[in-house]
Amino acid sequence: MHIVKQLMAIPGVIAAGEYAYRGDRFSYEGALTDEFARMASILCRANTLSVNMQSEIFDSFAENCGCRPVQGWIVRGDKVTVCAVGNYFSFIENRDELLNDVMTIMRAKVGDVQDDLLANLYARLGGDTKEALY
Amino acid sequence: MDLHKIMDLPGALAAFTYSDKGDLQSHQLREGTELTPQVLDLLARSCVANQAIAGMEARGWEALTGQSGFQPLKGFSVVGLEWSVVVNGNCGVVVRNRDADYEATFNALQAA
Repeated sequence: MHIVKQLMAIPGVIAAGEYAYRGDRFSYEGALTDEFARMASILCRANTLSVNMQSEIFDSFAENCGCRPVQGWIVRGDKVTVCAVGNYFSFIENRDELLNDVMTIMRAKVGDVQDDLLANLYARLGGDTKEALY
Repeated sequence: MDLHKIMDLPGALAAFTYSDKGDLQSHQLREGTELTPQVLDLLARSCVANQAIAGMEARGWEALTGQSGFQPLKGFSVVGLEWSVVVNGNCGVVVRNRDADYEATFNALQAA
């Protein structure tokens, strides 16, 4: 079953979707409008880019310290939590055990995010992104 | 802040506290971990930055969408390849991914 459908089948998952690493394409299911999903997609890309930048800095201080490449992030709100793994995101209610279940499914279905994430994040911005980055 | 108690969380490799500016104030490291105080110092600074960004996003999201439930922020986590750092307020914990109980960790930090 597709990861988004699998997540949406869990009670307490408000919305789930997939965003392109370059932030301009997205698909989703659940209680979001197209505009809100577009905003969520941009927000997820920005946060993913930010934490990857941070992990590169950690890595320069302590090589292979275990944080790179970043797999995702979680924002815990008062009643809602936003999870992102790879290029998938989910908005979930703060219910008992739901966060652990959702993270387990997302990590298992997305698999380990590989080290070329930054190149993907910058893809199609123009030019040879690999050359520009490395 | 009882870092000993935080270190009892499943998979905990390190626990630390930091100032509002991100200066590492106290820490505990699990014996054998490859993490160092220097990495924790950097982590603390990123934690302050990430919580500030997440707080801004939560506030903006609520204002733009009319949805509620994001504020006040109860924490932020970055999931790395082998470990995750989970933070709330001025305290953070690094947990091994394969043993991590994110919910229990967020709850423990909230109660701390």
